[in-house]
Amino acid sequence: MNDKIKEAFRQIQAEEPLKDRTKAFLAQKTKSSAKPVKRRFPMYAAACACLLFLLVMGHRLYFTQTSIISIDINPSLELGINRFDRVISVNSLNDDARELTAAMDIKFRHYEEAVRQILENKKIAAMLSDDEEMVITVAGSDETQSAQILSKLEGCTAGHKNTHCYHSSSAEVTSAHEAGLSCGKYRAFLELQLLDPEITPETVQGMTMSGIRDLIDRLSDGDAGVTKEPSPAGETSPACETPQGQDSGCGRHESHGGHGGGHR
Amino acid sequence: MRSEEEVERAVELHSDTVRRLCMIHLKNYADTEDIFQTVFLKYALSSVLFESEEHERAWFIRVTINACKDLLKSFFHSRTVSLDELMEQPAALPPDHREVIEAVLALPQKYRDVVYLHYFEDYTVPQISRILGKNVNTIYTLLTRSRRMLREKLGGDDYE
Repeated sequence: MNDKIKEAFRQIQAEEPLKDRTKAFLAQKTKSSAKPVKRRFPMYAAACACLLFLLVMGHRLYFTQTSIISIDINPSLELGINRFDRVISVNSLNDDARELTAAMDIKFRHYEEAVRQILENKKIAAMLSDDEEMVITVAGSDETQSAQILSKLEGCTAGHKNTHCYHSSSAEVTSAHEAGLSCGKYRAFLELQLLDPEITPETVQGMTMSGIRDLIDRLSDGDAGVTKEPSPAGETSPACETPQGQDSGCGRHESHGGHGGGHR
Repeated sequence: MRSEEEVERAVELHSDTVRRLCMIHLKNYADTEDIFQTVFLKYALSSVLFESEEHERAWFIRVTINACKDLLKSFFHSRTVSLDELMEQPAALPPDHREVIEAVLALPQKYRDVVYLHYFEDYTVPQISRILGKNVNTIYTLLTRSRRMLREKLGGDDYE
């Protein structure tokens, strides 16, 4: 009977079509797995190219400067802003600025946070309390973004004494850089040059904004003995006008007050 | 990975063994084809060195039984099987052989492997215990019970 079981099982055999299909399947599978690198290489290469493209484009998008915020009080510094409103570069234009920015962590932060940090810096706060003047100039290739930044900064600086905000053009920024000055100082320099054509950019480079303003006041009055005095309440500084003659909103800030009036 | 010739030799040599094991575990031909592909692909891709043909056969038996169990355990696989479906395969056999195969397939699953390995492949109980990964005494028990059940179904006293 044991033989009966053996004989019965012997009758069960793998069908030829089943063997053939299995062989065909194995031939296909082993061929495809024998050349995996060759077959997958174009796919990996395409994926790498896409990734590289995305990285390059992302890097270019992030690190392209679309606006600039120039801050002058002496220290003079410029913050490069990208399309995502982040500070991507900090350009210190003099030693004071280098000393100031070395103590702060403002790179890659939102521009509002960066400006707030600068305004809250002890040294800057002390200078502003000491009647020094801070000029913030916003310029950029993206007019919409520049207008938004200016509007936000006016809000940021509303509570700070002697702080003025302006809008400027990209052409003016270029001219300022060619002269080796920051935007705020360049504007003041142009004003000064109208009164005294012999004034050079080097002359104003090391001066504070309030110092330059005093000089303008003295020259415009033709009086070498001019000193600073507070302006009457509610008087709008001429410096608060945009180059196109539009009110940039700086009138909301408390101004230094020695610019337009009060001269002896 | 093994060469095409090596794989073809293995298909010719072991496909009957794999087919028989599929018959005692599976319900339909599609599953049998799946197991064939799984087992022989595993062989083609493996780098196991076999000491002898017997060693290779034991490897195929173990791998086939495991593959069948995995298939039956899989979530998407139907867990029910009708007796008609199970008896479909031996239908083409001569009546004598059909009766024996039907008697084996009617045994509970755990007895079928033991019966096949012992009566057809001539493995000893210790060898079966190694292949199935079960205790020797368990194999003895399974074999004794299956003998009794087969005797009841097929009659005769000579199942040893």
